[in-house]
Amino acid sequence: MDFTAIILLVSFFVLLFLNVPISICIGLATLLSLVMHMDFTPASMTIAQQMAGGIDSFALLAIPFFILSGLIMGQGGIAKRLIECAMALIGSLPGGLALVNVMSCMLFGAISGSAVAATSAIGSFMVPEMKKHGYSAEFGAAVTAAAATTGMLIPPSNILIIYAIASGGVSIAALFIAGYVPGILVGLALMMVCSLYAIHHKYPVTARLPIKVALEKVLAAFPSLLLVFIVIGGIIGGIFTATEAGAVAVLYALALSVGIYKEISVKELPTLFLKACETTAIVMLIIGASSAMSWLLSYTHIPQIISEFFLTLSDNPLVVLLLINLILIVVGAFIDMTPAVLIFTPIFLPVAEQFGMSPIQFGIMIVLNLSIGLVSPPVGSVLFVSCAVAKTSIHKIIKPMIPLYIVMFIVLMLVTYVPAISEALPRLFGFIE
Amino acid sequence: MHKFMLLITTVLEKILMLTMAAIVITVTWQVFSRFIIQSPSSFTEELARFLLIWIGILGAAYAYKTKAHLGLDLFVSSLAPVRKKKALILIEFLVMIFAGGVMVYGGTLLVAMNVELKQTSAALGLNMGLIYSAIPLSGTLIVLFCLDNITQLLKSTTELENTVEGES
Repeated sequence: MDFTAIILLVSFFVLLFLNVPISICIGLATLLSLVMHMDFTPASMTIAQQMAGGIDSFALLAIPFFILSGLIMGQGGIAKRLIECAMALIGSLPGGLALVNVMSCMLFGAISGSAVAATSAIGSFMVPEMKKHGYSAEFGAAVTAAAATTGMLIPPSNILIIYAIASGGVSIAALFIAGYVPGILVGLALMMVCSLYAIHHKYPVTARLPIKVALEKVLAAFPSLLLVFIVIGGIIGGIFTATEAGAVAVLYALALSVGIYKEISVKELPTLFLKACETTAIVMLIIGASSAMSWLLSYTHIPQIISEFFLTLSDNPLVVLLLINLILIVVGAFIDMTPAVLIFTPIFLPVAEQFGMSPIQFGIMIVLNLSIGLVSPPVGSVLFVSCAVAKTSIHKIIKPMIPLYIVMFIVLMLVTYVPAISEALPRLFGFIE
Repeated sequence: MHKFMLLITTVLEKILMLTMAAIVITVTWQVFSRFIIQSPSSFTEELARFLLIWIGILGAAYAYKTKAHLGLDLFVSSLAPVRKKKALILIEFLVMIFAGGVMVYGGTLLVAMNVELKQTSAALGLNMGLIYSAIPLSGTLIVLFCLDNITQLLKSTTELENTVEGES
């Protein structure tokens, strides 16, 4: 049994470092390990069956919808209005433009579920603007990337849906509402760093907008922000499922961008649909392949073996949880968030539960942890998009990233050791007894 | 072969766009039928799930064509052109093992088993073999894309050098 685990692990990493697509790495490693236990024919059939079975879920349907609505909002003038709203609210504070960048990313995260979409939508406008006012492109790119990850926690969030499935049925509504406080906490921590950085570098402070203009800007963003109340209100109030909310979000985004703002023409829609299909398919193939892998894992009792191993290491929850976090940070630097959540949730969740952590808190912890990986070299996808948008390079962006990594890690530790940060809101709304 | 694959890609694009539109309409109809006309639709949930399988599995072939799948590009991109070419061909072969062995072979057997056992879905009464047929179809397309990529790689070294320069 240990032998299977070794084959699975070694073949997975060899394939991964060969730059085989990660979904295929998972699939091939699973196939290789499975033929140790059975003939090739039942092994290949089992994997094919698990691939389709893993995708066959109504909850997962929310993902293409939030991807599509994110794409529409990124192009449809919604991002611009959110930025102007943030500008009117906090633009005149020290480091105002950097704060506006963070807040816009958070607002964008609150209406869409993709950090990459937030990075390109907000960054492509905010980084040039910051450069114009004396900020360095590297700092602008670093802030955008780090701030965009708050969208992973602030609902709607595709990764929390994926976690809900990987964890075997934590309520999506509970996870969504649990994400608000940690997400906002990360945003505030990043803002604090930005302000100190701007004061230290004596960046100019933008003049306050006249109150009437400011009010107009906030009102102009109102239709976009109304989506939050419809989608999240609908899910938390039990009026519709996350999937149905996703469909409503697509329609709403279409109505705003095509009908009211007129920034997307009907002719551009097929391209957006295709792009959404592509992104969805990448995620779905990973989910399908991971579903085959987790079937293999439970077939060979690998999670139990790892759990027992952790329990022999230490019986101190502080130590074990720190260890899990450190492993996940390393994992997150190499493996994208979706496969990392799918592979490591079944392995680490039982360990965390042994130490009294709730599946909701663990979900928030793993997502926040892997968010750091999204903005870390060598593979952090958000970091790469942000560098591309800011026209700078990865090695230049690391230095301004360091203080941002530090505050993200501090919030991660708070989330790990203070259950109330994740659980107070779901408890208030009756999702936890 | 390459021109044929471009044609296939265009057809695939059209199918995916339409499936995406269909999935949005299906779930919208589900919401609409429940709230506005007060008679919850019974088939939409199942239909939407099946469409998602098709988008996910068939879209995977399209994403393979557009090289959109996530990977870990640490070493291969920094190899010298000749070695890089060998590594890229090796990757295509590894992908073909999965696409051919699991998706085409295992997928076809899965479809055949479901057709033989007359497994039908609960609400729509569709044979599950029909739904699962996305797997061998997508596997076949991925194998074809791999073969096309390999022939393109073998055909010209100059093209390869250009892409190396473009990436650095």
